[in-house]
Amino acid sequence: MSSELIRLEIFKHLFASIPEEMGAVLQRSSFSPNIKERCDFSCALFDAAGEMIAQAAHIPVHLGAMPLSVQSAIQSTDFTEGDMLILNDPYRGGTHLPDLTLIAPIFSGGALVGFAANRAHHADVGGMVPGSMPIARELIQEGLIIPPVKLIQAGVVQQGVWDLILRNTRSPWERGGDLRAQIAANLRGVERFAALIAKYGLDEVQRYSQALLVYTERLTRALIAGMPEGHYEFEDVLDDDGIGEVPIKIRVAVHIHGDQARVDFSGSDPQVRGSVNAVYAITLSAVYYVFRCLVDSEVPNNTGSLRAIQVIAPEGSVVNARPPAPVAGGNVETSQRIVDVLLGALAQALPEKIPAASQGTMNNTLIGGRDPLRRREFTYYETIGGGMGARPGSHGPSAIHSHMTNTLNTPVEAMEYAYPLQIVRYELRSGSGGAGRFHGGEGLRRDLLLLVDATASLLSERRRSRPYGLAGGEAGANGENVLIRDGEEQPLPAKGQSVLRAGDVLSIRTPGGGGWGKM
Amino acid sequence: MRIGIDTGGTFTDFVAFDPKTGKIETFKVLSTPDDPARAILDGLARIADPGQRAIVHGSTVATNALLERKGARVALINTAGFRDLLQIGRQNRPALYNFFADPPEPLVPRQHRLEVTERVNYRGEVQIPLDESTLAALVRQCREYAIESIALCLLFSFANPVHEQMVAAKFAAAGFLVSASHQVLPEFREYERASTTTINAYVSPVMSGYLAKLEAALAGDRLRVMQSNGGMASPRLAGEQAVRCILSGPAGGLVGAQAVARAAGFERILTFDMGGTSTDVALIDGEAQVSASSHIGGLPISVPMLAIHTVGSGGGSIAFRDAGGGLQVGPQSVGANPGPACYGAGNLPTVTDANLLLGRIRPDQFFGGRMQLDVDRARRAFEVLSTELGLAPEACQSGTIQIVNAHMARALRIISVEKGRDPRDFTLLAFGGAGGLHAVELARELGMPRILVPRHAATLSALGMLLADAVKDYSRTVMLPGGTSFANLEIAIAPMVEQGRSDLSAEGFSAKERRVEAKADLRYAGQSFELSVPFTDSLIADFHQAHQAAYGYHDPDAEIEIVNLRARAIGLVEQPPLPAFPKASTKLDQALLGHFPLRLGDEEKVAPFYDGEKLGAGHFFEGPAIVVRPDTTILVGESDHAEVDRFLNLIITIGTA
Repeated sequence: MSSELIRLEIFKHLFASIPEEMGAVLQRSSFSPNIKERCDFSCALFDAAGEMIAQAAHIPVHLGAMPLSVQSAIQSTDFTEGDMLILNDPYRGGTHLPDLTLIAPIFSGGALVGFAANRAHHADVGGMVPGSMPIARELIQEGLIIPPVKLIQAGVVQQGVWDLILRNTRSPWERGGDLRAQIAANLRGVERFAALIAKYGLDEVQRYSQALLVYTERLTRALIAGMPEGHYEFEDVLDDDGIGEVPIKIRVAVHIHGDQARVDFSGSDPQVRGSVNAVYAITLSAVYYVFRCLVDSEVPNNTGSLRAIQVIAPEGSVVNARPPAPVAGGNVETSQRIVDVLLGALAQALPEKIPAASQGTMNNTLIGGRDPLRRREFTYYETIGGGMGARPGSHGPSAIHSHMTNTLNTPVEAMEYAYPLQIVRYELRSGSGGAGRFHGGEGLRRDLLLLVDATASLLSERRRSRPYGLAGGEAGANGENVLIRDGEEQPLPAKGQSVLRAGDVLSIRTPGGGGWGKM
Repeated sequence: MRIGIDTGGTFTDFVAFDPKTGKIETFKVLSTPDDPARAILDGLARIADPGQRAIVHGSTVATNALLERKGARVALINTAGFRDLLQIGRQNRPALYNFFADPPEPLVPRQHRLEVTERVNYRGEVQIPLDESTLAALVRQCREYAIESIALCLLFSFANPVHEQMVAAKFAAAGFLVSASHQVLPEFREYERASTTTINAYVSPVMSGYLAKLEAALAGDRLRVMQSNGGMASPRLAGEQAVRCILSGPAGGLVGAQAVARAAGFERILTFDMGGTSTDVALIDGEAQVSASSHIGGLPISVPMLAIHTVGSGGGSIAFRDAGGGLQVGPQSVGANPGPACYGAGNLPTVTDANLLLGRIRPDQFFGGRMQLDVDRARRAFEVLSTELGLAPEACQSGTIQIVNAHMARALRIISVEKGRDPRDFTLLAFGGAGGLHAVELARELGMPRILVPRHAATLSALGMLLADAVKDYSRTVMLPGGTSFANLEIAIAPMVEQGRSDLSAEGFSAKERRVEAKADLRYAGQSFELSVPFTDSLIADFHQAHQAAYGYHDPDAEIEIVNLRARAIGLVEQPPLPAFPKASTKLDQALLGHFPLRLGDEEKVAPFYDGEKLGAGHFFEGPAIVVRPDTTILVGESDHAEVDRFLNLIITIGTA
C-alpha cells in the first residue's frame, strides 16, 4: 500500500496545520495576558467520536484533558451546524475553572464529522479572590462553574448565557474580548477542516485521521517495547494543601510489559480539603506528556499514544478527585508533581534519558484590586520559571518553565503599562541549582512593588520539599515567598491570600533544579 | 555602471547594469569565506569603470558573526536588579517535548552583564536618579575584561533616554563603541530591545571593520550595503547598525523577485527559494511584507525585516523510515558534505537523488554538465530505504518528493492562508537551485494558476540589490490613547519624519527623490499584538477594519491604544528597465536536447528536455517537459504549458487535470 504510507505523512502536515492556525488567531487577538503573552491555551481538532486527531504544541497540561472535554460535550449535547459549546466544569470535561473550553462541531453534508476546540486560561472567572485560584474548600468557591452549555446556537450568540458569564467575572470587558478571540479561533478551525474535506473528500480525510491515530500508537508501543521490562516505583510529596501543613503523598508504580505500560497511582493520598486536587484529566495529561517526550519529536499529537498506556488513578484520591473538592491548583501544581514521580520511576528503567527533578511548581502569583488611574478592577496573574533538573550529560537550564507549562513572562515594561504594579528586581537566584556532576538550573527572583493596596494570592510548591537529584546529584534549593514591608522581610506561606499595601514588595524566589551525578 | 553583489556560501554573484547601453550582465565567482572581500574584488576586476561604479552589496558578515558566534566581546549594562534580562528571556523553553533541548546561550555571559542604579517609569519620569559615582568603576571593569563593544539597555529608555545618554557618553568618552537601546530600537518590551541592542553591539564591530577594509580597497567606487528591510544604507550606518543587515542576501532576493514579477505583469506573488538545506518563502502583495520582529538563531531581533519564512527542507533533505514505519523527509540534511548520494560521496537517499532517479534531472547535465551524477549510488541508497519500508523503489522516490512538497506547501500556507491571503490569487515565483523541480506540483496543490521562473533565477538577490532604494526605518513607542487628536499624533511623529528627510538629504537624495511613509501600530487596550496601519486621520477606522480582516472580528466600542509610531524614509533610486527581447527567430526544436523517460505520479512518460539557454522569447510548449539550465532544472507538468516571455522568464500555466 505504497501511496497509503506517503499520504499518511502528507495528512499529518495537513491536520497539524489547522490547530496551529487556530492558535495564531487566538493568541494575536486575545486580551488576557495569560493567553496573548503567555500562550496559556491549546487548540485541537477531533473526529466525530471525540478522538483527538491533532493538537498544536502550545501547553502540555491540556494534552490529555481536551479529549475529555469533547467527550463530555458529545454525551451532553445534540449538535446542530453553527453551534458552539462552552464549559469549564472540572467534573464534566474541564480541568480548573479559569480554563474555558469552547467546542465547535464540524458538519459535512449535514452529518457531524468532527470538532474544533480550544481552551484558554482566563484571568478571572469570579470566586473568592481575583484570578479565581483561591485556597478554597469546595469547588463553588473557586468561581463560576459552567457545565457544557451552548454559547452559540445555530450561529446565534445566546445573549443570556453570554451576559451571565460576563456578569460573574471581575473583568467582563476583558472576558468578552477573550471569548470573541476563542470563537474566532474555532471558526477558523471549522473553516479549514471543511476545506480539507472539500478538497480530499470525507472518506479520505476520515481514513487518514484514523491511520494517524494508529501510527502514533505504533510509535508509542515501539518506545515501550524498547524499555527494560519490569516494575518501577517512586513517590514524592506536595508541601501541603494550603489549609493544613501535612505533606501530601503521590505514589506511582509503572509496569512495563511488552509494548504495554501500566501507570498505577494507587497508594497516593486521598483527596484533600485545599485546592491541590487533580481531576483525572490532569493526571492523564501528565502521563501523556512524559511518554510524549520520550517518543521521537516528530510524532503527531493525538490520542493514539494513550492506547498503549493504561492509567489507574483511584477515585477520590488527590490524582482523581471527586466533587465537590476544589481543584484550582491541581492543574498548575499537582500536575508537576505527577510528572516528577513518573520521571522518578522511569529513571530506574531509562537512567540515560531522564532529567533530575525540575522546579516542580509554577509559582502562581495573582494580584487583584482596583486601579485608580484606569478606574477599573484589575487582575494580574503570572507563573514564574525556575530551575530545570540537570540531564544525564548536561546542566539544567536556568530560569525556565519546565514540564506541564511553557508560558511566556509578562514583560517588565508591558506590566507597568497595564497594572498599578512595578517589577523592581528580576534575576537568577545564584546557587539554587542542585550540585552534581551536572548541576541543576538556577531558580529566579521576581520582586513586585505594589503601587496600590491589593490582594495577593499565592499558589506555589517546593517551599519545604526540594526538587530531587538523580544518580547521586543533590536536590535543588526550595523556593521562598517573602513580603518586604518597610524594609523588613517576612516569610509568606506557599499557598494563601494576603492583603497588601501600596509600597509593599512581594518577592517570589523560585526553586532550583536537581543535580545529576556525583560531583 | 551599477552593480549588485551578493555574497553566498558557495558563490559570490554579480549583476552589472550599464546605463549607457541598457545591458545587464551577470556572473558568479567562487566565494572566499575566510575573507569575503577577496571574491568581491576578483569579480569587480571584470567590470568596467573602476572608481566610478555604484555598488550595492549583500553581505553575510553580520549573519555569520551571529550564527557562528564570532562577534565582538560585549558587555551589557542594565538597570540594577535586571542583569539577567538577556538570559531569562521570556522564561519559555525552546521545545515543548524534549528534555534535552537547551535555550540559546546568551551572547553575553553573566560576568559581563553589569548594572547601574537608576529607574525611569513608564511615563518617562525619573524615579531613581542615575548613580553616576559607579560609572568610572564600570568603565575600569570593562577595560579589565577586554570588552570591545558596549550594549546598553535600561528600563523605559525609549520613554526617557536621559540615563542611557549619560552612561553612553561616559563609555564613548572612554573610547568604547556603544549601542544604546533608545537608538537601536526605541520600543517597549525590554527583552526584545535588549536582545536587538546586544546583537547590534556583537556584530557591528565585525561588520564595520569589514566594510572599512572593503571601501578602502574600492578606491572611489560608491559602496552601499543591503539591509534586511529591502533597502540599502551607507557603509557607515550599516557598520553602526549592523543588526539591520542580518538578512541582507534574502532581502535582495525579494526585491529582485518583486521587480521581475512586476515587469512581467504580476503584482501578487509567493516566492519560493529552494536550496540544498532549506527553503525560503515569502509573500508579495503589491509590496513585500515587513515583519517588525523575527528570530535569528533563536534570538529575537525587533528591527523591521522583509518577512521571509524558512523551513528546513531542501534538495539535501534525507528520506528515512521512522520508528512507526512511516516515510519521513528531513529536516536532517546531508549538507554540502557529503551531499546527496548521487554526488558520489554520501550513501543516504535525499530529495535530489529522488529527482534524479525519477528522471527529472539528467545525470550528465547537472550544473551545466560540470558535474556527472552517480545514478547507481543514488539507486542503492533508495534500495536500502525501500526495503526497510517494504515499498517499490519508484514509490519510495515519488513519495519522497510528495512529502518534501507537503512540507513546503505548509510553509506557503503559513504565509498566505494564515494571513488571510488566498494562494489561488497569486503567482508562484520559483528560484534557487532546486525550486524549479518542485514548483508545478506545489502550485497544483495550492491551486495557484501559474509559475514564473525568472531569467536570472540564480542571481536574483544580486539583481535586487542593484535595484534597491535607500530605506531607513524609525520607530518609537508612544502608548497613547486611541482618542488622541490627529494633530497631536502629527506632533509626536514629526521628529521621526524630519530625521528621515535629513538623513536622506545627507546621503545626497534631493527632495524629489525622497519619500516618507508613516505608520502607526494599534491594538485594543489589553491586547499584546499590534496591527500596523497607515498614519492618516482615518487610522482608527482602518485599525478596526484591519482587525476584522486579520482575526474575523472587531469591536467599535472597545478602547484603542496607539502603541508605536513608525516612519520609513525612502530615497528613490532610478530603476533601469529590465532588458526585453524580440520574438526568437529560432525554432523550438533547436533548443531540444532529446526525449528521455520521466516518472510523473505512477506513470512513466517520455518527455522532451529543452536547453534553457537556447529558448527564446515567444517559445511555447506543452508539458510534460523539462527545461535544463546551468543553474537549475524546471519541470513542466503533464497538463501544464510553458511560454518564454519577452524578458526570457519562463511562465508555466498550470493545467486543470
